[in-house]
Amino acid sequence: MTFLDDVAGRAISRRSLIKGAAALGAASALPLPVLAQEVATVTWWDVFQPLIPLHEKMWAEFAAANPGTVAYTGMNPSDMMQALQLANRSNQMPDVFNVPAGIDQVNVLQANGWFAPLSDSFTFDKPFQQEVLAEGFTTFGGKLYSFPLFSFRQTSTSLWYFREGMTAAGLDAETGPQTWEDARSAADAATKDGKYGIILPLQFVDRMAAHLTDLAQSAGAPGAIDWKTGEYAYASQPYIDALNFLLGFQQDGSLHPASSSLDARQGRARWAAGESLMFFDGPWNSGVLNNSFKDVIDGIDAVRVPYPAAAAANSFTYRGPQVGTFFLSAQSANVEMASQVLQQLTSENYYVGLAERMDQPPLDLSAVEKANVHPAYRKMVSGYASYVRLAPDPLIRNPQVAQVYAEMKPVTPGLGEIIQGAFSGAFSDPKPLLQQFADQMTAERARAVEVAKAKGAAVSVDDWKFDAWVPGEDFTADKY
Amino acid sequence: MTSTGSRRTFFARLWSDRWIYAFLLPTTLLMGGFTIYPVAASIWFSLLDWNGFERAGEFIGFANYGELMRDPLFWNAFKNTMLFMVLAVPLRVGIALLLAIALNRVFPLVRVFRTAIFLPVVTTAAIIGVVMRYVLDPASGPLNLALLASGLTDRPTNFLGQAGLALYSAVGVWVWKWLGITLIYWLAALQTIPRDALEAAHIDGANAWDRFRYITLPLLTPFTIIITLITVIDATNVFDLMLTLTNGGPFYATEVIDIFVYRQAFAASVPRLGYASAAAIFFGACFIALAVVQLLVISRLRQERAAQ
Repeated sequence: MTFLDDVAGRAISRRSLIKGAAALGAASALPLPVLAQEVATVTWWDVFQPLIPLHEKMWAEFAAANPGTVAYTGMNPSDMMQALQLANRSNQMPDVFNVPAGIDQVNVLQANGWFAPLSDSFTFDKPFQQEVLAEGFTTFGGKLYSFPLFSFRQTSTSLWYFREGMTAAGLDAETGPQTWEDARSAADAATKDGKYGIILPLQFVDRMAAHLTDLAQSAGAPGAIDWKTGEYAYASQPYIDALNFLLGFQQDGSLHPASSSLDARQGRARWAAGESLMFFDGPWNSGVLNNSFKDVIDGIDAVRVPYPAAAAANSFTYRGPQVGTFFLSAQSANVEMASQVLQQLTSENYYVGLAERMDQPPLDLSAVEKANVHPAYRKMVSGYASYVRLAPDPLIRNPQVAQVYAEMKPVTPGLGEIIQGAFSGAFSDPKPLLQQFADQMTAERARAVEVAKAKGAAVSVDDWKFDAWVPGEDFTADKY
Repeated sequence: MTSTGSRRTFFARLWSDRWIYAFLLPTTLLMGGFTIYPVAASIWFSLLDWNGFERAGEFIGFANYGELMRDPLFWNAFKNTMLFMVLAVPLRVGIALLLAIALNRVFPLVRVFRTAIFLPVVTTAAIIGVVMRYVLDPASGPLNLALLASGLTDRPTNFLGQAGLALYSAVGVWVWKWLGITLIYWLAALQTIPRDALEAAHIDGANAWDRFRYITLPLLTPFTIIITLITVIDATNVFDLMLTLTNGGPFYATEVIDIFVYRQAFAASVPRLGYASAAAIFFGACFIALAVVQLLVISRLRQERAAQ
């Protein structure tokens, strides 16, 4: 009589219990393949909500052909870094994850040994793929660690609107509000009957900082850094003008009053519910609407980052080279399997599928032409070619700048907090705070440069100065 | 000889009370693991420069404490915590006492009122924070709709989005959320007031205010001290409510010490675990000093009263 017979048939005797426990112990000591074919599970965390169906289909195809599955966890961008920190300290890092932060933070993580290189079997060798590989962005010490999924030609600050509402506000629904002045007048006209002109996600300070930088660039700023001088430009006139433009919505009464409590996801949901006419967002808004707010997507449209009428001729936005999208954890025991899964993200079919998810535009922009996408998405992505330019990055010229990034500590209040403070009435004039932020960043960078130099790095603040930078032009590899 | 004898006595007493120590062991272990160890670890962390991405930090002595003294945002959080306490504790203790006096009598629906006031206590603070954001929403929140409909205001009030108003709104939500538990304390305390003393005063012609002023209030004094102490401690632990209600904003207007520590340790782009620990330890030390001063003052008052 076996232990299981005992369980089924009658009360368990002491002898049977011991026998059963011994049998279970022996079974657990056997290697797993003896009991079943070993299937590796690749754990995967990211913030790309619109890509989930595409990735799930891809993972299912992979699982059908390989002994590996993917366990996916979707994260809110504003929570992702906290989750990763906790996971790292408790040795529970996912095998694959994305880092929703800047190049500086990626280098901090690399300096602290978070990442594992992709396996040698991974290939990324088409010309448009090769040209985006750079030390500090995708490669560390000559080894490939990651690769970008998306093109750098994009912004977070396209202006999305309801076509019908825009017509009612007196503007052409097709061209939309191109200038700051148009946007304010449209918002003003739309503010009535409990509806507002625009919603801003003021609680998501990083997104607000990105919006302000895009708008300042469209008003003539090179970006957070003035590449001609290497100085921080947060207190420059375009930044102040851009902040005043945003504050103008509040002064006009056309800013949705709940904006102060909303992050990007909540703001988007309330905009999609028709509570405001306009909402600043990136190209991924098409994908989110298509997935979660399908009934409104055909009534919406978007225009490029609006600019002050006076600056139209110089109206460009600038983005640095794309950092790798997904990284493998140094804690991963599935590097080979995870690299094979990531290899699926480099095919032509994948780029077309990526475009069809209408998230950030794919690295291969020609895939958008072949893809079945919403007209607003196609219009926006094709428009990037006319006004989004490649910015320089000190890390490409001098990879040792990574050591400066790794030394720099965050400065508070940051740009996003200053924007939030200006809207909350914490101060009446934001210029002194913007100047203080620029000064503190300059001092912190100078301190980090000195520390890096003391550790043997050949760096200087001149690494942030690019004499060859010309407004309105891509800073291509030959200009370094 | 005496020493050996007393040691024997000590071990003999330990052995004779072994069951007491056996039963105390789980609590001692849990307290050691979940209270003593984290405090000791925090003290050590506060001496490190540690960004949280690394496995271990670098020892930097008291540099974190020095930086803390010069950090205006730390002092802003310190001020907010104290202001929150100064505003919220008297409100919660005082309103609960008034309600307890009103609800300490038997009248129709008294149990319904008591339950209604107690209900927010058993609701999770984080959920209260989320729900109150909708209740206080300036566009569609019921409170603003009611204010507008009543004509008390002609435009929506941004209770949580205005830097000058957010902390007071948070105080209001916190007092409402925890009022019920203080009400229970007061109701229990009121049960200890001897009825015959109140009835004798009534017969002697004392009105309701005199009975409260000269009988109820003096007899409640020891309870007042304890209830206030408990409420003060509660008022320094508002992390869950504040995080979901305002996340410390706008522009640090509601950033109390808990949120400051959390922001430094987790929410910063590059976390600073050592600095966050220094802030927590420093505030803890200040709070202990405050409690010691409070105890000394109470003890002195008692001595003076006894001397009289």
